[in-house]
Amino acid sequence: MTNAAEVARPVVAGSAAEEYLDFPGGRVHLLRGGAGRPVLFLHAAGGAGQWHQYHERLARRFDVIAPDHPGFAGSDELPDVEGVDDLVLHYLDLIERLGLVRPHVVGASFGGWIAAELAVARPDVIGSLVLLAPAGLRLPEHPPADLFFMTPEQVVGALFHNLDHAAALFPGEPSVDDILAAYRDMTALARFAWGSPFLSNPKLERRLHRVTAPTLVVTPVEDRVIPVEHGRRYADLIPNAEYTVVEDCGHAMYFEKPAEFAAVTGDFLARTTAPIGGNR
Amino acid sequence: MKFVFFHLMPYPYLPDDFDENHPSPSLTFPNKFFDRKRGNQLYHRYLDELEYAERLGFDGIAVNEHHQSAYGLMPSPNIMAAALARRTERAKLMVLGNAIGVRGNPLRVAEEIAMLDHLSNGRVVSGFVRGIGWEYFAHSINPTHSRERFDEAHDLIIKAWTSDEPFQWIGKHYEYRYVNLWPRTVQEPHPPIFIPGAGSTETMRFVAAHGYTYMSVYAPTTLVGRWFDGYRRAAEELGVEPDPEKLTFSVPIYVAETDEQAHSEGRRHVEWLFHRGLKQGFQVVYPPGYMSPGSLRGVLMSGMKPYTETSYEELLAGGYVVVGSPDTVAARLSELQRTLGFGQLNGLFSIGDITHDETVRSMELFASKVIPALRPLGAASGTAVAV
Repeated sequence: MTNAAEVARPVVAGSAAEEYLDFPGGRVHLLRGGAGRPVLFLHAAGGAGQWHQYHERLARRFDVIAPDHPGFAGSDELPDVEGVDDLVLHYLDLIERLGLVRPHVVGASFGGWIAAELAVARPDVIGSLVLLAPAGLRLPEHPPADLFFMTPEQVVGALFHNLDHAAALFPGEPSVDDILAAYRDMTALARFAWGSPFLSNPKLERRLHRVTAPTLVVTPVEDRVIPVEHGRRYADLIPNAEYTVVEDCGHAMYFEKPAEFAAVTGDFLARTTAPIGGNR
Repeated sequence: MKFVFFHLMPYPYLPDDFDENHPSPSLTFPNKFFDRKRGNQLYHRYLDELEYAERLGFDGIAVNEHHQSAYGLMPSPNIMAAALARRTERAKLMVLGNAIGVRGNPLRVAEEIAMLDHLSNGRVVSGFVRGIGWEYFAHSINPTHSRERFDEAHDLIIKAWTSDEPFQWIGKHYEYRYVNLWPRTVQEPHPPIFIPGAGSTETMRFVAAHGYTYMSVYAPTTLVGRWFDGYRRAAEELGVEPDPEKLTFSVPIYVAETDEQAHSEGRRHVEWLFHRGLKQGFQVVYPPGYMSPGSLRGVLMSGMKPYTETSYEELLAGGYVVVGSPDTVAARLSELQRTLGFGQLNGLFSIGDITHDETVRSMELFASKVIPALRPLGAASGTAVAV
């Protein structure tokens, strides 16, 4: 057991249905539940393949589509998708494949980085944008924590503000298969994030002015993985972005406070949802 | 059998609270603990030991590469080999190896090895390693690219050594519009190649297919046996005769006059090596993507404990280390040779926090009493046995 990914275990099966989509080089797994305007949810380093209470709550108001990034959880590693620029094209393909019309895009941490890149590349394709403790900016004064270098105990300590919340999510001794699954998720993350620059695109900051989507940036106040300055910088640079915080919460976000994160996300999306076709 | 005197060049002067307060001697262990003067003395002591090994009759003297660590002070093994090249005359000069998986510019390795081949008059042996886990943190090199970077750097270096016309290299990780190596190596077509293996079947097949030498890392005999069997199987499948000299067994060795003396002196040095020098977390040993899923499953299923949790007694019984009187060491290594079938022995004599005097005595006893007993073992089949 090596990493953040094991933090995220299926908590609620809920109303989600499983689906697989074929792409060049393999297939992608996704969970989908609810009805209404489509919300594309892009998961963090942890949380792939899981329909959490957070998703379940959002699905009461929206059609929530939660794919696993290539190489994570139930998705094959797609050899051609080896950088975040490739992930942007991958999700443009996925949006088209599913026939989604200007879906809202919600991204957490690593997924927030992808969501921001998507909104920069194709502002016309998405509805509203919600970035939850997004990674992706290169702020030398506020480097993200190196989850790769941490022991499992350190990862949990870094992710959760309230360790009681963490304890409930972890089983006892992980099996060999648990360890291999976590290693696979972390390997998928490393493909996109490890190197110089680390977990960031230095060019992203100066491109954020391109975003036209109504945008909400949310940071958990006690984030010890992605310093809150990252969220603030996103909010400063994305035109008309709103910014809000969730108190007493660490980077685990919806694993720690699912109801709060679902409310903050859902309320913003409901408020900014225009009738389909109304502002295309 | 051939005998290699291998050095790690550790920095042994750790603070008293090291065990409690430092998770590893690598990467995050502050370099304020490197005492400039004592460190300076260590380099000269260690080079003296390598030079002395040649005079004692070892067939090869070997250095390796580690970065940002008290475990080993050779970020550039080629510099150490250069320091030895003109101070020695006969022994193979073995760089085991250059960590080509983390190097930014593999052509530099090709150039330096070629230069070393001249300085040593054709005695260089070139090892290639991927670089162990922590080097990927130290170099900000993506470990998910480790295998393909290693493979590409290897192919590029070999082509640079063997091509006699300029060529262009366009690969995934390296691109050169002009490759035209000056100097060429002394040895033709190029120096012999050693590759360490730790169970990956891809590596076994790679080594066998190229006719390279497969070298074990510190592990229990049961595992090393499996690896060597895997190499032999791969060789047979490729129709290559598995020559014992293509198998090198790596092991720390401490010899004293009696078993009692050897254990009472050797224990702490062995414990330094395995419990301090190699103290590091799972996530540092196996950064994501460094291991294929199959190889990692193999490691997890092997039941091999972390070095730090393996007691001195377990290290002895498992065949990770060999300690004792000359007779005991000769008998134990003969037994290991019969079990494992290797033709080269890569011995680490300067173990952990051992003193220079202990090192010298251990290597002298080994050279005078153990080497003669073991020499006939593991010779290549069909060739005359050297005694």
